[in-house]
Amino acid sequence: MRLHAAVLALAATVAPVAAVFEDDAYHIDFHHALVGIPKRASTFFQKPYAGSKASLLYSLSANHTLGAINPKDGALVWRQVPPSGLPSATKSSLRAGEDQDTVVSAVGDRITAWSAADGRLVWEHRVPGAIVEDLEILEQEDGITNAEAKDAIILLSGATSVVQRLDGKTGRVKWTYTDSSGDTPSQVSSSPTTIFYVSLHTPLLGGWTKLKITALSPITGRSIEHVTLNSEVDSSDDIIFAGANTAAPLLAWTDKSKKTLKVNIIGTKGVSSFDVPSTEPVTKVVLHAPNRVNSLSHVLVEYQTETGHSAVVYHVDLMKSTISKAYDLPYLSGKGTFTTSTADANVYFTRVTENEITLVSSASHGVLGRWPVQSSPQLAGSYPVHGVAEVAAKDNTASAVRCAVIFSNGEFALVRNGELVWTRPEYLSGAVSAVWTELPETEALAAELQVESHQNVVAAYIHRVRRHVRDLEYFPAWLQSLPQRLLGNLGSKKDDATIEDIQHDTFGYHKLAVLATDTGRLVALDVGAKGKVMWNVDLSKLAPGVHFSRPALRSFPGYVEIKDKNMPGTLYVNATTGNSLTLTDMTLEPHVPVDGKNLIVFDLVDGDLQGFLGVKAGPGPMGLGEPVWTFTPPDHERIVTYTARPTDDPVASIGVVLGDRRVLYKYLNPNLVLVTTALDAARRISIYLLDSASGQLLYAVSHDGVDTSRPLPSTITENWFSYSFTRIASPNAQSRGYELVVGDLFESAIPDDRGPLGPSSNSSSILPVKGDSAKPHVLTQSYHITEEISHMTVTRTKQGITSRELLVTLPSSHSIYGIPRMVIDPRRPVGRDPTANEQAEGLSRYMPAILFDPKWSLNHKYEVFGIQDVITTPSGLESTSLVLAYGFDVFGTRVSPSFAFDSLGKGFNKVQMLLTVAGLFVGVLFVAPLVSRKQINSLWAVAS
Amino acid sequence: MAVDASPPPQWVTDLNSTPTSKPKSSFPDPPGYTAPLSAKQRSQSSKNAAVRQAPTTEEMDTLKMKKAWELAIAPAKQLPMNAIGMYMTGNSLQIFSIFMVFTLFKTPVMAVLALQRTFAPFETPGTSGRMIGVKLVYVLMNLMMLGLGVWKVNKMGLLPTTRSDWLAWEGERTWSERAVPREWL
Repeated sequence: MRLHAAVLALAATVAPVAAVFEDDAYHIDFHHALVGIPKRASTFFQKPYAGSKASLLYSLSANHTLGAINPKDGALVWRQVPPSGLPSATKSSLRAGEDQDTVVSAVGDRITAWSAADGRLVWEHRVPGAIVEDLEILEQEDGITNAEAKDAIILLSGATSVVQRLDGKTGRVKWTYTDSSGDTPSQVSSSPTTIFYVSLHTPLLGGWTKLKITALSPITGRSIEHVTLNSEVDSSDDIIFAGANTAAPLLAWTDKSKKTLKVNIIGTKGVSSFDVPSTEPVTKVVLHAPNRVNSLSHVLVEYQTETGHSAVVYHVDLMKSTISKAYDLPYLSGKGTFTTSTADANVYFTRVTENEITLVSSASHGVLGRWPVQSSPQLAGSYPVHGVAEVAAKDNTASAVRCAVIFSNGEFALVRNGELVWTRPEYLSGAVSAVWTELPETEALAAELQVESHQNVVAAYIHRVRRHVRDLEYFPAWLQSLPQRLLGNLGSKKDDATIEDIQHDTFGYHKLAVLATDTGRLVALDVGAKGKVMWNVDLSKLAPGVHFSRPALRSFPGYVEIKDKNMPGTLYVNATTGNSLTLTDMTLEPHVPVDGKNLIVFDLVDGDLQGFLGVKAGPGPMGLGEPVWTFTPPDHERIVTYTARPTDDPVASIGVVLGDRRVLYKYLNPNLVLVTTALDAARRISIYLLDSASGQLLYAVSHDGVDTSRPLPSTITENWFSYSFTRIASPNAQSRGYELVVGDLFESAIPDDRGPLGPSSNSSSILPVKGDSAKPHVLTQSYHITEEISHMTVTRTKQGITSRELLVTLPSSHSIYGIPRMVIDPRRPVGRDPTANEQAEGLSRYMPAILFDPKWSLNHKYEVFGIQDVITTPSGLESTSLVLAYGFDVFGTRVSPSFAFDSLGKGFNKVQMLLTVAGLFVGVLFVAPLVSRKQINSLWAVAS
Repeated sequence: MAVDASPPPQWVTDLNSTPTSKPKSSFPDPPGYTAPLSAKQRSQSSKNAAVRQAPTTEEMDTLKMKKAWELAIAPAKQLPMNAIGMYMTGNSLQIFSIFMVFTLFKTPVMAVLALQRTFAPFETPGTSGRMIGVKLVYVLMNLMMLGLGVWKVNKMGLLPTTRSDWLAWEGERTWSERAVPREWL
């Protein structure tokens, strides 16, 4: 109808300007800007510049991300994400000199200095082919502190081991010491006068590996002397500490069985040996020492066992070069950790356990402060792993201590005087798969309605009345909550959400997304409540002994199914609580609603895509039926990926209404699969569109001159597909850069025609009724885009009425864009202006390039890093689709591609509306007697 | 009393016995003056009129038919003007064009409904047979008006005449196979 066309035209004019509204930003979306699990010894409090009043918390994480966190509220001040493609075994470290305005990080082959206040790059030093083994900041040179810019000492391993001194201002190499002895480099350390290079020396003729210490001149880098310690070391892993920048740098190591601890003051030959004070086998030994030159040479050795932990404090006598035990911190059962902090020359040790923080001075064992740690749901069931502390102490009385502690559940928390100030869900970094869940309660209502729709009218009516009577028991509670809800509607809503809020959510904004991380955690987030973590479980506790590599999640009403290739069976988890479910207390839902159709399963088998008829029943892993088709790409092309149409993909209209009110019928086949193949040698990619029921090829296209090493994202939905690729930059190529291709499938090229199948309502790809099964008419258009797309998906709504957006992840600008479907409609007229009919449809003239409109950005001011995947789900409102992006960061929002036509915006003033109604009512009360009097007068009064 | 035997003066005689007829005078009447008709003349003239005004029923019927035809054709006379008006208002959905189209539909329907009442004055035993044709033409003319309305509505795109209007009643095909990737199982 023309009305329809008018609405479409209206939608066309408004859709391209759809953007995140200013008053919606930061309210409808959330962003967990993560750093990752902080590494021990690379996390510290540091003043961003000399003389700064407050300090920031700097952290280098297990995935080599560098971040500065505000210790007051846990907000991220800045962060630097390492370049992609780092090997997983890369070493990294982070150091900062005292009173410096830079922090220096070493990741892989890069040594980089960052401005401590804002994270800008100051200098970078790259040593291609080498790996930075250790990094230290030279605090003092010949006992004098260089206040301007402290130099960095780096130890590189590669073909030969190299120690370099880098200028603190520019990163220029001041000198290089090359160790060509073939020893394994271990660490560097420094005392106020000397630089020490520690390596593991293995004699050629066999024998024990020994520690070799080379003293280097800080000024010239020449070696002064070699010391080989008369004690054997098994491997580099046994070396637990090589302190730096202290008056007495220490080197400590244990034997293999962790029975004795050996300590050497670097620069001397003597080795002190201490017995481990535990009867239980020690699992971990950690040495804590202050890293200030002017602080006391007191160290704490932490012993962790399976059940508890203890520590011993040693004092180093510099004059005599001896190490003596000062006191014990007694064994406590349960996990805990220790931190070191300094105040002037004093050294304090903080013991952090699950329920208490105690502070002792390094000089004596008297407890200076003791604070019980308040319990909180975030930290429930977890124990501190390691941390850093800052102490405010005066004359042996500690007034306050704040500890930034990483807990075993991956929560990075700041505890100040026992009070939990903030937590950061760092366990979320590295999410590998995610799925939306449905809560069981809402499904129950759906089931009831299903029952009613299948009964006759009378029975359905009785059923409904019964249900309503049953529902009456909730009525008083509902009535009680009504004023609160009304007030909540008028005022601003609280962000705090519980499972109950999700159940009572009218708009369906509160949906749980369950994420699995590469560390084997399963986390449920409420996307409607700013990504609040509803539960967080360790998968390895649910399935002991399994190392989860990449868990595959599937969601069913009420539960989530977890599969992993390292796990033989299947794990079921309650979606509401995160508890493990057994098959006895749950009913399994069918995976794919088949409804009496022939089920065909396809999979990659030896590089070919194969379809199998049905699934073999029986125990054990699911077997496949008879192979029915095989798709072998030509010329030995490699199948990169394949994308199938999602199971739940509602289509509101089966045709596209043209401007002249004719219809182009969409080719809607639920079994479409888009296969992307690559031929690396020929630099060619091919796209094949298959009917995965019959294996029939419906459409194929090839692109030459494509960089096959770059991501090839693709998506398929409704009757259209889209993919993107990168052209190789060669001088004689016609086209360069990144391209986005969009294709529409129609039943016929002619309007008002349903193709060879005609109006028949049934169709089969395997046994076509009329000869050859119908092939779609494919229209494609390609566009140049300004940035590479790493992942693409489409928005999804409940009925599929709302126009769609293609959500693309742009890794180079750390953003996610929603391209309106209208912009990438393949029916845009090429080389001419649109006719009036086409304009009525909202088609604009084809432009070969799409410039990403900043209004399409979903993440506005947020920077989302390392997005692996974006998932979408319908909300309760037809206009709105929920979006969750995960990977390194987690970002969630909701999008309304055709605007929120079914809900009131934030700008709607409910109070004003109510006041207007009330005002009108009062006005009517006043005016009514006047009017009635006038009416009576007009009937009775004599006209004069 | 002594009777005066002398005859009364002339004026008394004139006064007592008004002349039956106008005294012949040579004076013509003044211009613009019409002499009143005498009773005889009056009766004469009325007799003449009655003779002229004796129409037959046939004549009467012809006259009524003429009048009825005029009425029947009347809607057609409005047609060109309405058509121009409709053409001028354009095909967009606006309050004015909607009102105009509404009246375009309402007038003919109301007219047809009031058909008997409209033609009742012309209904005589003599004309009743011929009135059918007149009424038919009248209905036809009104239908033409209605046709104009329909044409206009069609122009406005409100008539479900194309495939797109019936698209909602067309269903998606049911496929007898369902193929899924293995990892969805």
